[in-house]
Amino acid sequence: MTKQEAMEALTPIFREVFDDDSIELDDEMTSSDVEGWDSVEHFNLISEIESVFQMRFKMKEVSGMKNVGELAEIVAERGTL
Amino acid sequence: MVFSSLIFLYLFLPVCLLCYGLSPSLPVKNAVLMLFSLAFYAWGEPTYIILLLISVLMNYLFGLGIGKCQQTKKAGLSKVIMIISMIFNLGLLGVFKYSGFIVENLNLIPGVSLPIPHLTLPIGISFYTFQILSYIIDLYWEEIDVQRNPFHLLLYISMFPQLIAGPIVRYSSIADEIKNRKITIVDISEGLTRLMMGLGKKVILANHLSTIVDDFFGENIQLSVAGTWYAVIVYAMQIYFDFSGYSDMAIGMGRMFGFHFDENFRHPFLCKDISEFWQRWHISLGTFFRDYVLYIPIFGKRRKYGGLFLVWFCTGLWHGASWNYIIWGLYFGTFILIEQLIGKKRIKKIPLVLRHVYNKIVIIVGFGIFYFEDIGRLGSFFRNLVGLNGNALYDNVTELSVRNNLFLLIAAFACCFPLYEGVKMLRNRHASLVKVTNVLQAVWNAALLVVSSILLVDATNNPFLYFRF
Repeated sequence: MTKQEAMEALTPIFREVFDDDSIELDDEMTSSDVEGWDSVEHFNLISEIESVFQMRFKMKEVSGMKNVGELAEIVAERGTL
Repeated sequence: MVFSSLIFLYLFLPVCLLCYGLSPSLPVKNAVLMLFSLAFYAWGEPTYIILLLISVLMNYLFGLGIGKCQQTKKAGLSKVIMIISMIFNLGLLGVFKYSGFIVENLNLIPGVSLPIPHLTLPIGISFYTFQILSYIIDLYWEEIDVQRNPFHLLLYISMFPQLIAGPIVRYSSIADEIKNRKITIVDISEGLTRLMMGLGKKVILANHLSTIVDDFFGENIQLSVAGTWYAVIVYAMQIYFDFSGYSDMAIGMGRMFGFHFDENFRHPFLCKDISEFWQRWHISLGTFFRDYVLYIPIFGKRRKYGGLFLVWFCTGLWHGASWNYIIWGLYFGTFILIEQLIGKKRIKKIPLVLRHVYNKIVIIVGFGIFYFEDIGRLGSFFRNLVGLNGNALYDNVTELSVRNNLFLLIAAFACCFPLYEGVKMLRNRHASLVKVTNVLQAVWNAALLVVSSILLVDATNNPFLYFRF
Protein backbone atom coordinates (compact mmCIF):
# COMPACT_ATOMS: atom_id res chain seq x y z
CA MET A 1 0.00 0.00 0.00
CA THR A 2 1.29 3.50 -0.78
CA LYS A 3 1.34 6.24 1.81
CA GLN A 4 -1.35 8.08 -0.18
CA GLU A 5 -3.60 4.99 -0.12
CA ALA A 6 -3.00 4.68 3.61
CA MET A 7 -3.97 8.33 4.13
CA GLU A 8 -7.18 7.81 2.15
CA ALA A 9 -8.08 4.71 4.14
CA LEU A 10 -7.23 6.42 7.44
CA THR A 11 -9.50 9.42 6.79
CA PRO A 12 -12.84 7.65 7.53
CA ILE A 13 -11.33 6.09 10.68
CA PHE A 14 -10.29 9.52 11.96
CA ARG A 15 -13.73 10.95 11.11
CA GLU A 16 -15.45 8.12 12.96
CA VAL A 17 -13.22 8.15 16.07
CA PHE A 18 -13.30 11.94 16.49
CA ASP A 19 -16.89 12.27 15.27
CA ASP A 20 -16.02 15.01 12.79
CA ASP A 21 -16.75 14.59 9.06
CA SER A 22 -14.75 17.66 8.14
CA ILE A 23 -11.39 16.11 9.07
CA GLU A 24 -8.93 16.18 6.16
CA LEU A 25 -5.65 14.45 6.92
CA ASP A 26 -2.27 15.84 6.00
CA ASP A 27 1.31 14.87 6.86
CA GLU A 28 1.91 17.62 9.38
CA MET A 29 -1.33 17.15 11.32
CA THR A 30 -0.83 16.44 15.05
CA SER A 31 -3.05 15.76 18.05
CA SER A 32 -3.28 19.49 18.80
CA ASP A 33 -5.02 20.04 15.41
CA VAL A 34 -7.92 17.70 16.18
CA GLU A 35 -10.38 18.44 18.95
CA GLY A 36 -10.57 15.65 21.52
CA TRP A 37 -7.38 13.86 20.42
CA ASP A 38 -6.09 12.98 23.88
CA SER A 39 -4.36 9.85 25.19
CA VAL A 40 -7.65 7.98 25.59
CA GLU A 41 -8.78 8.74 22.04
CA HIS A 42 -5.28 8.00 20.77
CA PHE A 43 -5.65 4.51 22.20
CA ASN A 44 -9.07 4.14 20.56
CA LEU A 45 -7.66 5.38 17.26
CA ILE A 46 -4.72 2.95 17.41
CA SER A 47 -7.03 0.02 18.28
CA GLU A 48 -9.34 0.87 15.39
CA ILE A 49 -6.47 1.21 12.91
CA GLU A 50 -4.99 -2.11 14.11
CA SER A 51 -8.29 -3.86 13.57
CA VAL A 52 -9.02 -2.35 10.12
CA PHE A 53 -5.48 -2.81 8.73
CA GLN A 54 -4.84 -6.13 10.54
CA MET A 55 -1.56 -5.00 12.00
CA ARG A 56 0.09 -4.32 15.37
CA PHE A 57 1.90 -1.15 16.33
CA LYS A 58 5.07 -1.36 18.40
CA MET A 59 5.03 0.45 21.76
CA LYS A 60 7.72 2.81 20.51
CA GLU A 61 5.59 3.71 17.49
CA VAL A 62 2.42 4.40 19.48
CA SER A 63 4.26 6.67 21.91
CA GLY A 64 6.73 8.18 19.50
CA MET A 65 4.83 9.04 16.30
CA LYS A 66 5.06 12.78 15.76
CA ASN A 67 2.30 13.41 13.20
CA VAL A 68 -0.22 11.82 10.84
CA GLY A 69 2.47 11.51 8.15
CA GLU A 70 4.51 9.16 10.36
CA LEU A 71 1.39 7.18 11.24
CA ALA A 72 0.52 6.76 7.55
CA GLU A 73 4.06 5.61 6.75
CA ILE A 74 3.84 2.83 9.36
CA VAL A 75 0.39 1.78 8.08
CA ALA A 76 1.59 1.83 4.45
CA GLU A 77 4.56 -0.36 5.37
CA ARG A 78 2.85 -3.03 7.47
CA GLY A 79 -0.91 -2.69 7.09
CA THR A 80 -3.15 -4.69 4.77
CA LEU A 81 -6.55 -3.73 3.46
CA MET B 1 16.36 22.10 52.54
CA VAL B 2 12.94 23.04 51.19
CA PHE B 3 12.28 25.84 48.71
CA SER B 4 9.94 27.52 51.16
CA SER B 5 12.56 28.09 53.83
CA LEU B 6 14.41 31.27 54.70
CA ILE B 7 17.83 29.66 54.31
CA PHE B 8 16.97 28.60 50.77
CA LEU B 9 15.38 31.88 49.72
CA TYR B 10 17.90 34.24 51.32
CA LEU B 11 21.14 32.29 51.17
CA PHE B 12 21.27 29.23 48.93
CA LEU B 13 19.37 30.59 45.91
CA PRO B 14 20.92 34.09 45.80
CA VAL B 15 24.47 32.71 46.16
CA CYS B 16 23.75 30.07 43.51
CA LEU B 17 22.29 32.65 41.11
CA LEU B 18 25.22 34.99 41.71
CA CYS B 19 27.84 32.30 41.02
CA TYR B 20 25.82 31.17 38.01
CA GLY B 21 25.49 34.69 36.63
CA LEU B 22 29.21 35.41 37.11
CA SER B 23 30.25 32.18 35.35
CA PRO B 24 31.87 33.14 32.05
CA SER B 25 30.79 30.21 29.88
CA LEU B 26 28.13 27.51 29.61
CA PRO B 27 30.39 24.64 30.78
CA VAL B 28 31.22 26.65 33.93
CA LYS B 29 27.54 27.51 34.44
CA ASN B 30 26.69 23.79 34.13
CA ALA B 31 29.40 22.92 36.66
CA VAL B 32 28.14 25.58 39.10
CA LEU B 33 24.57 24.38 38.79
CA MET B 34 25.63 20.74 39.25
CA LEU B 35 27.72 21.45 42.35
CA PHE B 36 25.00 23.55 43.96
CA SER B 37 22.49 20.81 43.13
CA LEU B 38 24.61 18.15 44.79
CA ALA B 39 25.09 20.39 47.82
CA PHE B 40 21.32 20.95 47.93
CA TYR B 41 20.66 17.20 47.91
CA ALA B 42 23.44 16.40 50.39
CA TRP B 43 21.95 18.96 52.80
CA GLY B 44 18.90 16.72 53.21
CA GLU B 45 20.40 13.36 52.26
CA PRO B 46 24.07 13.22 53.31
CA THR B 47 24.07 9.40 53.08
CA TYR B 48 21.79 8.59 50.18
CA ILE B 49 23.55 11.01 47.85
CA ILE B 50 25.83 8.02 47.25
CA LEU B 51 22.81 6.11 45.94
CA LEU B 52 22.00 8.96 43.56
CA LEU B 53 25.58 9.07 42.26
CA ILE B 54 25.74 5.28 41.83
CA SER B 55 22.41 5.34 40.02
CA VAL B 56 23.58 8.03 37.59
CA LEU B 57 26.92 6.26 37.01
CA MET B 58 25.27 2.90 36.33
CA ASN B 59 22.74 4.42 33.95
CA TYR B 60 25.47 6.38 32.22
CA LEU B 61 27.19 3.03 31.54
CA PHE B 62 23.90 1.37 30.51
CA GLY B 63 23.38 4.29 28.13
CA LEU B 64 26.84 3.92 26.61
CA GLY B 65 26.19 0.20 26.19
CA ILE B 66 22.87 0.75 24.40
CA GLY B 67 24.47 3.42 22.21
CA LYS B 68 27.32 1.07 21.26
CA CYS B 69 24.89 -1.76 20.42
CA GLN B 70 22.87 0.55 18.20
CA GLN B 71 26.00 1.61 16.35
CA THR B 72 26.98 -2.01 15.76
CA LYS B 73 23.37 -3.05 14.97
CA LYS B 74 23.11 -5.49 17.89
CA ALA B 75 19.40 -4.99 18.65
CA GLY B 76 19.17 -8.07 20.89
CA LEU B 77 21.99 -6.98 23.17
CA SER B 78 20.58 -3.45 23.29
CA LYS B 79 17.29 -4.89 24.57
CA VAL B 80 19.11 -6.98 27.19
CA ILE B 81 20.94 -3.89 28.51
CA MET B 82 17.68 -1.94 28.57
CA ILE B 83 15.99 -4.70 30.59
CA ILE B 84 18.95 -4.92 33.01
CA SER B 85 18.73 -1.16 33.47
CA MET B 86 14.99 -1.37 34.16
CA ILE B 87 15.56 -4.12 36.75
CA PHE B 88 18.35 -2.08 38.35
CA ASN B 89 16.33 1.16 38.54
CA LEU B 90 12.98 -0.33 39.53
CA GLY B 91 14.84 -2.70 41.88
CA LEU B 92 16.39 0.22 43.77
CA LEU B 93 13.01 1.90 43.98
CA GLY B 94 11.43 -1.38 45.07
CA VAL B 95 13.97 -2.04 47.83
CA PHE B 96 13.95 1.44 49.31
CA LYS B 97 10.30 2.30 48.86
CA TYR B 98 8.30 -0.92 48.81
CA SER B 99 10.25 -3.65 50.66
CA GLY B 100 8.54 -2.93 54.02
CA PHE B 101 5.10 -2.91 52.38
CA ILE B 102 5.74 -6.15 50.48
CA VAL B 103 7.01 -7.97 53.58
CA GLU B 104 4.08 -6.71 55.68
CA ASN B 105 1.67 -8.18 53.13
CA LEU B 106 3.62 -11.45 52.80
CA ASN B 107 3.41 -11.81 56.58
CA LEU B 108 -0.37 -11.93 56.25
CA ILE B 109 -0.01 -15.38 54.68
CA PRO B 110 -0.43 -17.99 57.45
CA GLY B 111 2.92 -19.42 58.53
CA VAL B 112 4.98 -16.60 57.04
CA SER B 113 6.78 -14.33 59.49
CA LEU B 114 9.57 -12.34 57.88
CA PRO B 115 11.39 -9.49 59.62
CA ILE B 116 10.07 -6.15 58.32
CA PRO B 117 12.86 -3.98 56.86
CA HIS B 118 12.74 -0.36 58.00
CA LEU B 119 14.57 1.56 55.30
CA THR B 120 14.36 5.33 55.11
CA LEU B 121 13.01 6.55 51.79
CA PRO B 122 15.75 8.45 49.94
CA ILE B 123 14.38 11.91 49.11
CA GLY B 124 13.17 12.25 45.53
CA ILE B 125 13.93 8.63 44.53
CA SER B 126 10.50 8.21 42.89
CA PHE B 127 11.10 11.27 40.76
CA TYR B 128 14.71 10.79 39.74
CA THR B 129 14.25 7.08 39.02
CA PHE B 130 11.55 7.95 36.50
CA GLN B 131 13.73 10.65 34.96
CA ILE B 132 16.56 8.15 34.47
CA LEU B 133 14.11 5.61 32.99
CA SER B 134 12.94 8.21 30.45
CA TYR B 135 16.56 8.60 29.33
CA ILE B 136 17.17 4.85 29.00
CA ILE B 137 13.87 4.03 27.24
CA ASP B 138 14.05 6.97 24.82
CA LEU B 139 17.63 5.98 24.03
CA TYR B 140 16.59 2.38 23.44
CA TRP B 141 13.81 3.62 21.15
CA GLU B 142 16.40 5.73 19.29
CA GLU B 143 14.46 8.90 20.04
CA ILE B 144 17.56 10.59 21.49
CA ASP B 145 21.33 10.42 21.19
CA VAL B 146 23.47 8.78 23.86
CA GLN B 147 24.91 11.20 26.43
CA ARG B 148 28.67 10.65 26.45
CA ASN B 149 29.43 13.29 29.05
CA PRO B 150 28.71 11.80 32.50
CA PHE B 151 28.52 15.27 34.05
CA HIS B 152 25.75 16.28 31.67
CA LEU B 153 23.73 13.24 32.72
CA LEU B 154 24.44 14.00 36.37
CA LEU B 155 23.34 17.61 35.83
CA TYR B 156 20.10 16.43 34.22
CA ILE B 157 19.27 14.13 37.13
CA SER B 158 20.54 16.26 40.00
CA MET B 159 19.35 19.73 38.89
CA PHE B 160 17.96 21.01 42.17
CA PRO B 161 14.79 22.76 40.96
CA GLN B 162 13.26 19.44 39.87
CA LEU B 163 15.36 16.84 41.71
CA ILE B 164 13.24 15.98 44.71
CA ALA B 165 9.58 16.61 43.90
CA GLY B 166 9.29 16.95 40.15
CA PRO B 167 8.08 17.78 37.64
CA ILE B 168 9.41 14.57 36.05
CA VAL B 169 11.48 16.29 33.39
CA ARG B 170 12.19 14.13 30.33
CA TYR B 171 15.80 13.99 29.23
CA SER B 172 14.63 14.60 25.65
CA SER B 173 13.02 17.90 26.66
CA ILE B 174 16.21 19.48 28.02
CA ALA B 175 19.03 17.57 26.26
CA ASP B 176 19.58 20.46 23.84
CA GLU B 177 19.41 23.10 26.56
CA ILE B 178 22.15 21.36 28.58
CA LYS B 179 24.47 21.86 25.62
CA ASN B 180 23.22 25.20 24.40
CA ARG B 181 20.95 27.75 26.05
CA LYS B 182 20.56 31.46 26.34
CA ILE B 183 19.16 33.17 29.39
CA THR B 184 17.19 36.27 28.50
CA ILE B 185 15.84 39.00 30.75
CA VAL B 186 12.34 37.65 29.98
CA ASP B 187 13.39 34.22 31.31
CA ILE B 188 14.61 35.77 34.55
CA SER B 189 11.53 37.99 34.94
CA GLU B 190 9.00 35.25 34.17
CA GLY B 191 10.98 32.70 36.18
CA LEU B 192 11.01 34.98 39.21
CA THR B 193 7.27 35.58 38.91
CA ARG B 194 6.61 31.81 38.80
CA LEU B 195 8.91 31.30 41.78
CA MET B 196 7.05 33.90 43.84
CA MET B 197 3.68 32.56 42.72
CA GLY B 198 4.67 29.08 43.88
CA LEU B 199 6.04 30.41 47.15
CA GLY B 200 2.76 32.23 47.84
CA LYS B 201 0.70 29.13 46.97
CA LYS B 202 2.73 27.07 49.41
CA VAL B 203 3.33 29.42 52.32
CA ILE B 204 0.22 31.59 52.27
CA LEU B 205 -2.39 29.10 51.06
CA ALA B 206 -1.29 25.44 51.50
CA ASN B 207 0.32 25.83 54.93
CA HIS B 208 -2.76 27.54 56.37
CA LEU B 209 -5.22 25.19 54.73
CA SER B 210 -3.27 22.33 56.29
CA THR B 211 -3.99 23.59 59.81
CA ILE B 212 -7.73 23.36 59.09
CA VAL B 213 -7.30 19.81 57.76
CA ASP B 214 -5.27 18.81 60.85
CA ASP B 215 -7.99 20.20 63.13
CA PHE B 216 -10.71 18.17 61.43
CA PHE B 217 -8.93 14.98 60.38
CA GLY B 218 -6.92 14.47 63.59
CA GLU B 219 -7.35 11.28 65.62
CA ASN B 220 -10.54 10.76 67.64
CA ILE B 221 -12.42 13.78 66.35
CA GLN B 222 -16.18 13.44 65.88
CA LEU B 223 -17.05 14.90 62.49
CA SER B 224 -20.44 15.94 61.19
CA VAL B 225 -21.38 15.25 57.56
CA ALA B 226 -20.82 18.93 56.72
CA GLY B 227 -17.52 18.96 58.64
CA THR B 228 -16.24 15.90 56.73
CA TRP B 229 -17.07 17.42 53.34
CA TYR B 230 -15.60 20.77 54.40
CA ALA B 231 -12.34 19.19 55.58
CA VAL B 232 -11.85 17.03 52.50
CA ILE B 233 -12.56 19.97 50.16
CA VAL B 234 -9.98 22.03 52.07
CA TYR B 235 -7.55 19.09 51.84
CA ALA B 236 -8.04 18.87 48.05
CA MET B 237 -7.12 22.56 47.77
CA GLN B 238 -4.19 22.13 50.18
CA ILE B 239 -2.66 19.33 48.09
CA TYR B 240 -3.22 21.32 44.90
CA PHE B 241 -1.51 24.47 46.20
CA ASP B 242 1.24 22.50 47.89
CA PHE B 243 2.17 20.43 44.87
CA SER B 244 1.44 22.92 42.09
CA GLY B 245 3.21 25.56 44.20
CA TYR B 246 6.29 23.35 44.26
CA SER B 247 6.01 22.80 40.49
CA ASP B 248 5.68 26.57 39.93
CA MET B 249 8.84 27.15 41.96
CA ALA B 250 10.67 24.38 40.08
CA ILE B 251 9.58 25.64 36.65
CA GLY B 252 10.34 29.24 37.65
CA MET B 253 13.85 28.48 38.90
CA GLY B 254 14.52 26.26 35.89
CA ARG B 255 13.59 29.22 33.71
CA MET B 256 15.97 31.49 35.64
CA PHE B 257 18.77 29.05 34.78
CA GLY B 258 17.67 29.01 31.13
CA PHE B 259 15.74 25.70 31.13
CA HIS B 260 12.18 25.37 29.90
CA PHE B 261 10.41 22.57 31.76
CA ASP B 262 6.98 21.42 30.62
CA GLU B 263 3.98 22.49 32.67
CA ASN B 264 2.88 20.10 35.42
CA PHE B 265 -0.56 21.55 36.31
CA ARG B 266 -3.18 23.34 34.24
CA HIS B 267 -5.89 24.40 36.69
CA PRO B 268 -7.11 20.83 37.27
CA PHE B 269 -10.30 21.78 39.12
CA LEU B 270 -11.66 23.38 35.94
CA CYS B 271 -11.92 19.93 34.33
CA LYS B 272 -15.23 18.79 32.85
CA ASP B 273 -14.62 15.07 33.43
CA ILE B 274 -12.18 12.78 35.25
CA SER B 275 -10.15 12.02 32.11
CA GLU B 276 -9.59 15.74 31.70
CA PHE B 277 -8.65 16.11 35.38
CA TRP B 278 -5.68 13.82 34.79
CA GLN B 279 -4.66 15.80 31.73
CA ARG B 280 -4.41 18.82 34.02
CA TRP B 281 -3.07 17.29 37.28
CA HIS B 282 0.56 16.13 37.67
CA ILE B 283 0.90 16.09 33.89
CA SER B 284 4.50 14.89 33.90
CA LEU B 285 3.52 11.69 35.74
CA GLY B 286 0.48 11.07 33.51
CA THR B 287 2.46 11.49 30.30
CA PHE B 288 5.21 9.25 31.70
CA PHE B 289 2.77 6.40 32.26
CA ARG B 290 1.02 7.12 28.95
CA ASP B 291 4.24 6.87 26.96
CA TYR B 292 6.03 4.10 28.84
CA VAL B 293 3.33 1.89 30.37
CA LEU B 294 -0.11 2.32 28.72
CA TYR B 295 0.70 0.52 25.47
CA ILE B 296 2.85 -2.19 27.04
CA PRO B 297 2.24 -5.30 24.89
CA ILE B 298 1.66 -7.88 27.63
CA PHE B 299 -2.12 -8.07 27.56
CA GLY B 300 -2.62 -9.32 23.99
CA LYS B 301 -6.04 -8.47 22.60
CA ARG B 302 -7.12 -7.04 25.95
CA ARG B 303 -4.32 -4.50 26.02
CA LYS B 304 -6.68 -1.55 25.94
CA TYR B 305 -8.17 -2.45 29.32
CA GLY B 306 -5.06 -4.19 30.62
CA GLY B 307 -2.96 -1.11 29.89
CA LEU B 308 -5.50 1.14 31.57
CA PHE B 309 -5.58 -1.05 34.68
CA LEU B 310 -1.78 -1.21 34.87
CA VAL B 311 -1.40 2.57 34.49
CA TRP B 312 -3.79 3.33 37.34
CA PHE B 313 -2.40 0.60 39.55
CA CYS B 314 1.09 2.06 39.00
CA THR B 315 -0.16 5.64 39.49
CA GLY B 316 -1.53 4.64 42.87
CA LEU B 317 1.49 2.59 43.90
CA TRP B 318 3.92 5.31 42.81
CA HIS B 319 2.37 7.66 45.37
CA GLY B 320 3.17 5.42 48.29
CA ALA B 321 3.67 1.95 49.69
CA SER B 322 0.20 1.66 51.15
CA TRP B 323 -3.08 0.12 50.03
CA ASN B 324 -4.98 3.39 50.15
CA TYR B 325 -2.82 4.78 47.31
CA ILE B 326 -3.46 1.68 45.20
CA ILE B 327 -7.20 1.99 45.88
CA TRP B 328 -6.93 5.69 45.02
CA GLY B 329 -5.29 4.92 41.66
CA LEU B 330 -7.76 2.17 40.74
CA TYR B 331 -10.65 4.39 41.87
CA PHE B 332 -9.70 6.99 39.26
CA GLY B 333 -8.99 4.26 36.70
CA THR B 334 -12.51 2.92 37.22
CA PHE B 335 -14.14 6.30 36.53
CA ILE B 336 -11.95 6.83 33.47
CA LEU B 337 -12.97 3.38 32.20
CA ILE B 338 -16.65 4.23 32.78
CA GLU B 339 -16.20 7.50 30.88
CA GLN B 340 -14.53 5.61 28.06
CA LEU B 341 -17.35 3.07 27.89
CA ILE B 342 -19.99 5.83 27.81
CA GLY B 343 -18.01 7.63 25.14
CA LYS B 344 -17.11 11.29 24.71
CA LYS B 345 -19.96 11.98 22.31
CA ARG B 346 -22.59 10.97 24.86
CA ILE B 347 -20.80 12.63 27.77
CA LYS B 348 -20.77 15.92 25.88
CA LYS B 349 -24.55 15.83 25.70
CA ILE B 350 -24.86 15.83 29.51
CA PRO B 351 -25.46 19.37 30.88
CA LEU B 352 -22.19 21.00 31.94
CA VAL B 353 -23.42 21.71 35.48
CA LEU B 354 -24.09 18.01 36.09
CA ARG B 355 -20.67 17.07 34.68
CA HIS B 356 -18.98 19.51 37.06
CA VAL B 357 -20.96 18.23 40.06
CA TYR B 358 -20.08 14.63 39.16
CA ASN B 359 -16.37 15.15 38.65
CA LYS B 360 -15.89 17.42 41.68
CA ILE B 361 -17.53 14.85 43.97
CA VAL B 362 -15.36 12.06 42.53
CA ILE B 363 -12.18 14.13 42.81
CA ILE B 364 -12.88 15.38 46.33
CA VAL B 365 -13.83 11.94 47.67
CA GLY B 366 -10.67 10.68 45.94
CA PHE B 367 -8.58 13.03 48.06
CA GLY B 368 -10.14 11.45 51.15
CA ILE B 369 -8.83 8.06 49.97
CA PHE B 370 -5.46 9.74 49.42
CA TYR B 371 -5.39 11.14 52.96
CA PHE B 372 -6.24 8.11 55.07
CA GLU B 373 -3.48 5.47 54.95
CA ASP B 374 -5.24 3.56 57.73
CA ILE B 375 -7.98 1.56 56.03
CA GLY B 376 -10.11 1.56 59.20
CA ARG B 377 -10.05 5.34 59.34
CA LEU B 378 -10.75 5.48 55.60
CA GLY B 379 -13.89 3.42 56.17
CA SER B 380 -14.92 5.78 58.97
CA PHE B 381 -14.32 8.75 56.61
CA PHE B 382 -16.72 7.24 54.04
CA ARG B 383 -19.37 6.67 56.72
CA ASN B 384 -18.90 10.23 57.98
CA LEU B 385 -19.46 11.58 54.47
CA VAL B 386 -22.99 10.19 54.39
CA GLY B 387 -23.84 10.20 58.09
CA LEU B 388 -23.60 6.44 58.64
CA ASN B 389 -21.51 6.85 61.82
CA GLY B 390 -24.53 8.27 63.61
CA ASN B 391 -22.84 11.64 63.16
CA ALA B 392 -24.78 14.91 62.96
CA LEU B 393 -25.51 16.56 59.64
CA TYR B 394 -24.06 19.84 60.74
CA ASP B 395 -22.13 21.31 63.67
CA ASN B 396 -21.03 24.66 65.05
CA VAL B 397 -17.31 23.86 64.89
CA THR B 398 -17.50 23.67 61.10
CA GLU B 399 -19.43 26.93 60.90
CA LEU B 400 -16.91 28.64 63.17
CA SER B 401 -13.99 27.33 61.09
CA VAL B 402 -15.56 28.63 57.86
CA ARG B 403 -16.16 32.04 59.46
CA ASN B 404 -12.67 32.28 60.94
CA ASN B 405 -11.01 31.29 57.68
CA LEU B 406 -13.37 32.99 55.26
CA PHE B 407 -10.77 35.18 53.53
CA LEU B 408 -8.33 32.28 53.20
CA LEU B 409 -11.04 30.04 51.73
CA ILE B 410 -12.19 32.72 49.25
CA ALA B 411 -8.59 33.40 48.20
CA ALA B 412 -7.89 29.68 47.80
CA PHE B 413 -11.06 29.16 45.77
CA ALA B 414 -10.24 32.13 43.51
CA CYS B 415 -6.67 30.88 42.97
CA CYS B 416 -8.04 27.63 41.52
CA PHE B 417 -8.95 29.71 38.47
CA PRO B 418 -6.44 30.97 35.88
CA LEU B 419 -6.14 34.53 37.25
CA TYR B 420 -2.53 35.08 36.23
CA GLU B 421 -3.20 33.83 32.70
CA GLY B 422 -6.17 36.23 32.54
CA VAL B 423 -3.99 39.21 33.43
CA LYS B 424 -1.40 38.11 30.85
CA MET B 425 -4.08 37.85 28.19
CA LEU B 426 -5.37 41.33 28.99
CA ARG B 427 -1.85 42.69 28.79
CA ASN B 428 -1.24 41.09 25.42
CA ARG B 429 -4.47 42.52 24.04
CA HIS B 430 -4.00 46.08 25.27
CA ALA B 431 -0.56 47.56 24.66
CA SER B 432 -1.37 50.45 26.99
CA LEU B 433 -1.57 48.03 29.94
CA VAL B 434 1.95 46.66 29.52
CA LYS B 435 3.70 49.25 31.69
CA VAL B 436 1.04 49.18 34.39
CA THR B 437 1.00 45.38 34.61
CA ASN B 438 4.81 45.23 34.65
CA VAL B 439 4.92 47.57 37.65
CA LEU B 440 2.06 45.69 39.31
CA GLN B 441 3.83 42.38 38.72
CA ALA B 442 7.00 43.65 40.41
CA VAL B 443 5.01 44.99 43.37
CA TRP B 444 3.01 41.74 43.58
CA ASN B 445 6.17 39.61 43.53
CA ALA B 446 7.74 41.73 46.27
CA ALA B 447 4.55 41.55 48.34
CA LEU B 448 4.41 37.75 48.01
CA LEU B 449 8.05 37.47 49.10
CA VAL B 450 7.59 39.78 52.09
CA VAL B 451 4.36 38.15 53.31
CA SER B 452 5.74 34.63 52.79
CA SER B 453 8.97 35.52 54.60
CA ILE B 454 7.08 36.92 57.59
CA LEU B 455 4.97 33.77 57.73
CA LEU B 456 8.06 31.57 57.43
CA VAL B 457 9.72 33.20 60.42
CA ASP B 458 6.89 31.81 62.54
CA ALA B 459 6.44 28.53 60.68
CA THR B 460 7.26 25.37 62.56
CA ASN B 461 6.03 22.68 60.21
CA ASN B 462 6.50 23.31 56.54
CA PRO B 463 7.40 20.23 54.49
CA PHE B 464 6.15 19.80 50.93
CA LEU B 465 3.79 16.82 50.88
CA TYR B 466 5.24 15.35 47.72
CA PHE B 467 8.66 15.04 49.35
CA ARG B 468 7.58 11.73 50.79
CA PHE B 469 7.02 10.18 47.38
